[in-house]
Order: sequence, then structure tokens, then C-alpha cells
Amino acid sequence: MTHRVSPRLAGYAGLAAVGLLTGLALGRVELVALAAPFALAAAVGAAFGREPGVTAGFALDRERALEGDEAQLTIELASAAGADRVDVLLPLPDELSTVEPNPRAVALVSGEPRALPTRVRCDRWGAFGLTGPLLRVRDALCFHAWEFQSEGREPLRVYPSVETLNALLPPFETQVFVGNQVSRSKGEGIEFADVREWAPGDRVRRINWRASARRGDLWVNEQHPERNTDVVLFLDTFAEVRHDGRGTHDLAVRAATSLAHRYLRRKDRVGLVSFGGYLSWLLPASGTLQLYRIVDSLLQTDIVLSFAAKDVDVLPPRTLPPKALVLALTPLLDARSAAALLDLRARGFDLVVVEVSPVPFVQPGGDELSRLSYRLWRLSREVLRARYERAGVPVVEWRKGVPLNVPLEEVAAFRRFAGPVRA
Amino acid sequence: MSVLVYAAVLAYTASRTGALVDLVLTIGGLGAVALVVVLVRAAEDLLAWAVLPLAAAYGISIVADRHAVDQTAPLVAVGLLLCCELAAWSLDARWRIAAEEAVVRRRALALGALVLAGLAASTAVVAIAVAPAGNGLSWTVAGAAAAVGAVGIGVAASRRGSA
Repeated sequence: MTHRVSPRLAGYAGLAAVGLLTGLALGRVELVALAAPFALAAAVGAAFGREPGVTAGFALDRERALEGDEAQLTIELASAAGADRVDVLLPLPDELSTVEPNPRAVALVSGEPRALPTRVRCDRWGAFGLTGPLLRVRDALCFHAWEFQSEGREPLRVYPSVETLNALLPPFETQVFVGNQVSRSKGEGIEFADVREWAPGDRVRRINWRASARRGDLWVNEQHPERNTDVVLFLDTFAEVRHDGRGTHDLAVRAATSLAHRYLRRKDRVGLVSFGGYLSWLLPASGTLQLYRIVDSLLQTDIVLSFAAKDVDVLPPRTLPPKALVLALTPLLDARSAAALLDLRARGFDLVVVEVSPVPFVQPGGDELSRLSYRLWRLSREVLRARYERAGVPVVEWRKGVPLNVPLEEVAAFRRFAGPVRA
Repeated sequence: MSVLVYAAVLAYTASRTGALVDLVLTIGGLGAVALVVVLVRAAEDLLAWAVLPLAAAYGISIVADRHAVDQTAPLVAVGLLLCCELAAWSLDARWRIAAEEAVVRRRALALGALVLAGLAASTAVVAIAVAPAGNGLSWTVAGAAAAVGAVGIGVAASRRGSA
């Protein structure tokens, strides 16, 4: 606890001393009368210098919240002797704010604990550790101040809000496990695929009697089996562009959460690769637990500046299973991630690049040189996109404010008319 | 408010000064500039230096007036104290801290009590000075009571400090 004394207390004592001495020297009682209130104030100030004995605690009503939610935080204050003024400041990261004023000043009655309910608004996703409030206890005339911070730490995970997706991108090839994705191959399933001649071992219930009667032989129906798919969300965390507190990384995390949520609900297996200054990954798995794993992992991701050369070889082989759909969310700002994606395509992965566009976050400069460099930068991005398209990789630009459905539909349209290229 | 109180005290001081009014106004004006600097720069540690010129100007005016004791001195003294306290309150209010009504009320009450107590103390000083000397038992009793009171306050303060 830090104790501070107002400098005016010493000033009052000084004024009183000067008044008394001058009055004595000049023999004028008026100067002594001038000094008297200041001497009294100094005495009162000195008498206030007792530690107030304020105790504080705080508690949060939840550990998890969604972006835009409000969590209830309660600050408990108590003092046996009471306090004329307690300034309470709740230190919050930029991503959180309070509905009630912060800081605020309250008075404490002796022996009566006081609870300060505070609504914490979760403005942006992230994993936070809320520290105790900073307190400054002052006397009624603010001659003395005692400052300390309440102990304790409350974790709060704010998950990104999930965007509603009407349709998902189907991968070219499905896995062997049962799921909700109609496979392109033929086998046991619900969706009709074709008819073929009966073969020993075929079940009687699969015979297509109408086709058999028409052709004079036994013909059986074939179906598309329902299988699951492996989806790997590839998050480029080498670089980002930010403006007004929002950036491409925010959009990428929000998109990854929405995609993971939707694919996992469809019983697919979803994995995550965070490819950047810090490399992290999650092996593909399905279920609600995997969704929490992915979102928790996304909350930890951050843009970390790194000059280390990295390629996909640093990833464990099981991170990228064969036939997996690799959905890359990248601002296409770093050559290393661009090269890694081309490498993945060369290895035969079903790759889709969703370009989280940094263009809305960049303001071209006013002078000629700045405008020229801006145009060159835009052109270089076009060139990079063309490289991907030549390799058969659909690249769609996704901008701030546009629903994620739009780029996904663009990719679906691209894939309807473009077959897979075997590298 | 602080500047208004300062201006009122300065105006009163100038009004009761005879020949030296220019000197009083000059010194008081310097103090006013210092007070404005204190308020603008939020320099609470210079607050005493801002009212000292006004106190000096008042001192000049009463020294120049060689005759009777100025019985309005307690009001001037309280005015100076009020000016300081209002300036300090103004500096505190600059922090964007949403204070609840009880906090503001407590400070206003404490300030009012301090000002009244200061007025009483100052008036007592002037009253003792203007009272005729040698009036016997009543003043002796008052002096003894004041001494006992001072000792009592000292003992209470030391006990509270040790607790």
C-alpha cells in the first residue's frame, strides 16, 4: 500500500508558520488571524493521516463469454472505520469495457460492506486474466491517499461470434468414416447413384425391379455413401494489417471459428494449423470438445514478427491427413505463407485460399509516390492470386463487412466449373 | 470559484488600502497569475505560493493602516483558505472519475466544517487581541481551558497513532 500526502498540507503549514512569524515580527494580530485557519487545516490534515483499513475483493460470474456479451463483475469493498472516498479503477484490456463508469468514486460507511456490480462488455474476442481493481482511499478533504491493488485474478475467455453459414465447401474426396457428406464414390447409402448388373453377394432389397423387368436381367441400385471429411483450417499468422483496432487477423479468427463450428456440427473432423511466427497445430478430430479446443487455440493465436524461414515440412505429418480439404485464411502478406500454400497444392492437397483482404485497412498516402507504391502493392497481390489460379487453387477475396457466405459461394462456383488439377 | 474568491479578497484588500493600492494590486495580480498557472498546469504543490502574494498584499495594507485592528481579518483568512481548497477540489475534479453524490456531499460538508472552524479560530484570535487586557478571572479560565484542551487533543492523537 502506498501512502501519499497532498503537497498542500505542507503548504498550509508553511503559510501558517509564515503568518505567525510575520505577525510576531510586525506586531499585527491580523497576520496571526490569517495564519489560524491554515494552521487548523494543517492540524486537521495531520489528524486524517490514519490508514483506513479498506479491504477489497472481486469476482466474475463466468469464465466464458461470447463477443458482445456482458459479464457481471462484482467488487466487494469493506472498511471497519469507513472511508470518505474510495476511487475504484478496474484495469481492463482494450478488448473489454464497462457499462458503468470506470473509474468511479464511492463512499464507505463504517462496518458495512459494499458491493459494486460492474457489467463488463466483451467487445472483442480473446483470452484475458482480469486483475483486481486499483483502489485509492482518500479522506474527505483529500489530504491523504492510500493506493493499493486488490489481489486475485479472474480468467475470462471471450469467444468470437459465429457467423451463420448457409452452405459449406465440400471437399473433393471424403474419408472412410460415416458422416453427413455425400461421397462421390458408390456404395451403401441413401442417395441414389446408378444401377448396375446384379453380382453375387448383392442384397435382394437392392434390386431395382423396374430396371430388371425392362432388361430381362437382375439389376441393382447403387448409392452414394454418407461419409465425413477432414478439414484443416490453415491460419496465416505471419503478418496482418490493422486499422482502428480491427485487422485482418480478427476477421481470420472469426471466419475460422465459424467454419470450425459449422463443419464440426456436420460430424466432420476439423484440424487447425496456425502458421506464423509461432507455429501451433491441432490434429483433426470431431465433436464439441474439438470445437472448444480449436476456439481456445484461436484465442491464443497472435501475430508474432519472425524472420525465420518456415515451410510445411515443420508440421507433423498427421496434421495434414490425405484427402483433407485445406482451407487457408490468409491476408497474402507474407511470402513464406504464400510459398507454403503453393507447396501444399503441389503435394496434392485440396486447397482453397480465402484471402482476408487487407485492402480496406490500408489508406493510400496523399503524395504521388505513396499512390504509386499503393498501386504497385495492389498489382503484386494480383500477380500472387494469378499464381494460385494457375496452380488450380481457388482464391477468393473476403472483405470486412461482407458475409463469409459470399466467398464460400464463389469457391463453390469455381469448383463447379473447374476440375481438380493433379500436380 | 477559486478565482472568484481570490478576486473578491483582492478587491476587498485593495479597497481598504490607501496610498499603496498600486503595490497591493501588483502583488495581488502576481498571485492571481500564479493561481491561474496552478489551475492550468494542475500544480497543486504551488498552491501555497499562489495565495502567499495575496496574503502579503493584505499584510501591506494593514501595516500601512497603523491604527486599529482590522476586524474583518478572519473573513480574509477564510477567503484565502477557501480559495486554496476550491482550487484543490477543481484539480481533483479534472480526473475523469465518476464520483457518487455521497462522496461530493462528504467533501462539501468537510470543506464547510473546515471553513467554519477556521473562521472561529481566526475570530477567536482577533477577539482575544481586541479584548481589553487584565479582565480577570474569565480570561484566565478560558486560557486554562484552552491549555487543557490542547493537551487533551495531543494525548488523544498520540493514543490513536499508537493504536
